[in-house]
Amino acid sequence: MTSAPLLRVRHVSKNFGAVQALVDVDLDVHAHEVVAIVGDNAAGKSTLARVISGSYQPDGGSVEIAGENVLPLTTKSARTHGIATVFQDLALADNLDVTANIFLGQELPSTRRLDHGLLDEQRMESLARDYLRQLNSRIASPRTPLAQLSAGQRQCVAIARTLVGQPRIIVLDEPTSSLSVTQTAEVLNHISRLRSMGLGVVLISHSLADVRSVADRIEVLRHGRNNGSFSATETGYEDIIAAITGAPSAHRIPR
Amino acid sequence: MTSTQGSTGSQSSLREANSVRILDAVRQFGSITQVELSHATGLSPATVSTIVKDLLAAGTVETRHTIRSGRRAQLVTLAHRAGLLIGLHVGERSLRVAISDSAFEFLDQREMPLPVDHRHDTTLDRAAMLISELVDGLGSALSETLALAIAVPAPVNPATGAVAIPGILPGWEGVPIGEVLGRRLGRPVAVDNDANLGALGEMRFGAGRGMGSLLYVRASYGVGSGIVLSRELHRGVLGIAGEIGHTLVDPHGHICRCGSRGCLNTVCGAQALVDSLRHSRGTVTLTDVLDLAEAGDPGCQQVVIDAGGAIGSVVANTAVSFSPEVIIVGGELARAGKLFLEPIRESVRRRIPLAQSQTLEVRAAELGQRAELYGALALAADLAHIESVAS
Repeated sequence: MTSAPLLRVRHVSKNFGAVQALVDVDLDVHAHEVVAIVGDNAAGKSTLARVISGSYQPDGGSVEIAGENVLPLTTKSARTHGIATVFQDLALADNLDVTANIFLGQELPSTRRLDHGLLDEQRMESLARDYLRQLNSRIASPRTPLAQLSAGQRQCVAIARTLVGQPRIIVLDEPTSSLSVTQTAEVLNHISRLRSMGLGVVLISHSLADVRSVADRIEVLRHGRNNGSFSATETGYEDIIAAITGAPSAHRIPR
Repeated sequence: MTSTQGSTGSQSSLREANSVRILDAVRQFGSITQVELSHATGLSPATVSTIVKDLLAAGTVETRHTIRSGRRAQLVTLAHRAGLLIGLHVGERSLRVAISDSAFEFLDQREMPLPVDHRHDTTLDRAAMLISELVDGLGSALSETLALAIAVPAPVNPATGAVAIPGILPGWEGVPIGEVLGRRLGRPVAVDNDANLGALGEMRFGAGRGMGSLLYVRASYGVGSGIVLSRELHRGVLGIAGEIGHTLVDPHGHICRCGSRGCLNTVCGAQALVDSLRHSRGTVTLTDVLDLAEAGDPGCQQVVIDAGGAIGSVVANTAVSFSPEVIIVGGELARAGKLFLEPIRESVRRRIPLAQSQTLEVRAAELGQRAELYGALALAADLAHIESVAS
C-alpha cells in the first residue's frame, strides 16, 4: 500500500513492574490491509492489542490515527477514533439473541415520538441482518438465541458488533484459537470480508497457517520487541518461524 | 419475504411457496433444525412442522433427532439415501469443498482461504477435518460417502496420481494425494488437474452440455486448460495435456516455476499481474486487482485486458490444433466478465482457420467458480460406479 497508514504506532513501551512487555514497538496498519502480529507466548502481542484498544496506557511512545496523536487513549475514545476490538473472551450474553448481542450497550432508541424511551427493534434487526450479510455469515436469523450458535458463529457476532460504530480499524485477538476447522474457515472468510470492506485489520494469532492465509503483512514480536516485518505472500514459514524463535535468517527484510 | 408476495391466491399455492422457502433454507444451511427453520423463513413453527412432514413423505428431505442447547430438536437435511459424493478443489489460495447427493444436488459447501505455497500435509489435514465435520453436520457418516475427488492446480500423472511436473506446486512433489486422503477418510479418492475437472464439470452440467469436444480455459493464479475429445477428457501420457500456462510465449522472458523460459504464466500468472501494478498501486492481491477492475480502476482493467489478450492468442493456437466445438472460460479472472472475455474472443476471431467456423463460441463458464467442484463430483461419481461394478 502506498497511502499513509491509518494507524501508526511508534516507540511504544509498556512495563509491568520488572517485566518489559513492550519495548520501543512500531506498527503501521493501512486501510484495506490485514496485519498479523505473531510471536511466542509473552511476546507482547496481547499487550500491544490492549494498548491500541485503549485498555492499557503505554509508558512511552505514540499512537496516531490518520496522522492525529490519540494518546492518552481510553476504550471509549478508541471507539470514537474508529478502533474496535474483539477480545479472546468475546463478552457475549448467552441469554440474548444475535441482534441484542450486536447492539448490547449501543442500542438504538426509537425515533417515533410516541415510543418515548423504547428501542427501535426493527431497525436494529435489519441492521444486524445487514452486518451478518456483509460478513457472509451462515447464521440463519438475527433473532437466533446466542446459546444455539457454534463458537465460530459467536466470533462472527462479536465481529458484527464492532461494525455498529463504523470502525476503520478492527483488532482481533486470537479469533481462531480453540475453533474447529469449519469454524476457522468461517472466521478467516470474515476477516477477508473486513479487508475488502476497506477496513484495516490487526490479527493476533498463533497459527501461521491462518495468518499466512489472510494477512498482507506479518509483524513478529519477540520479548516485547519488533523482530521483523514480512510480506505474507512472499515469505515462507521458515523465515517467520526463525524470527519468532530468534534464529538467524538470511531473508529478513531490514526495517 | 418478497418471494411469496405474488402467491397470496389459493391455500395450495401459498403452501407451495412456503415449501420452496423451506427447501431454500435447508439447501443454504446444509442442515438446520425446525426451530431454526422457523427463524430463517419467518414461518410459524406449526407451518414448518407440517411442511417438513409433507417433504419427508415425498422423500425430499430427511430428519433426525439432535440436541440443541440441551433440548431435543428435529434436524432437517436434504435427502441423500443413495449416498454422498464429495468434491474438493485445492486452489493456489483457497480450499473449496462440496458435498452432494448422488444427483449432484449440493448439500453443503465451504471455502477456506489458504496461504501462498501451502504445504500438502497441513492442507490435506485441514481438508480431511473439514470433510468429516461437514459430513457430521449433515447428520451423516463417512461410511455413507460413495467416493471423493480432488482437483489440484497442477498436472497430475494419471499413472501415479501425483503432481507430474516438479516446481509447479512446490512442496507437493511425489505426494500420492489420493492415497493420503483415502487413508485418512477410508473412502476411494480420485485426483485430477483442476482445469481438467472444470472441463468435465462444464461438459456434464454447464456451458458444454451436449458438446462432443471442448476447450475449457481456467485462468486463475496460473493458466491451465482441460481438453475434451469425443466426450472424454484428454489427459495425455503424463497428464500434462492442456497445460497452456507452460507454453512458450516469450523466448526472452523470465524463467517459469517449471524451469522453462518465457511460459504464458510468466506473462499473465497472478504474480506477473500484481507485479505490473506494484509501481502505481502498491502491493495488491489478485482478488484486489479483480475488485478494482470491477470498480472501474483503469490500471487494473488494463491488466485484465492485456492478460485476456496474451491468453487469447495461446487459446486460439490451441483451438486450431484440435478444433473444439466450444471454448469455455472459467477461473478467477473470468469474474471480470466481458473485460477479460472480449480480448480472448478477438484473438479467436483473428485466427482465420477458426473464423471459418460460424459456430465456434467463446463462452463464460456457466458454473462459475464451482465448475471444478462439479467436475470433481462427476469424477467421484464415476469412481464410485467403477468401484461398485468391481465389487
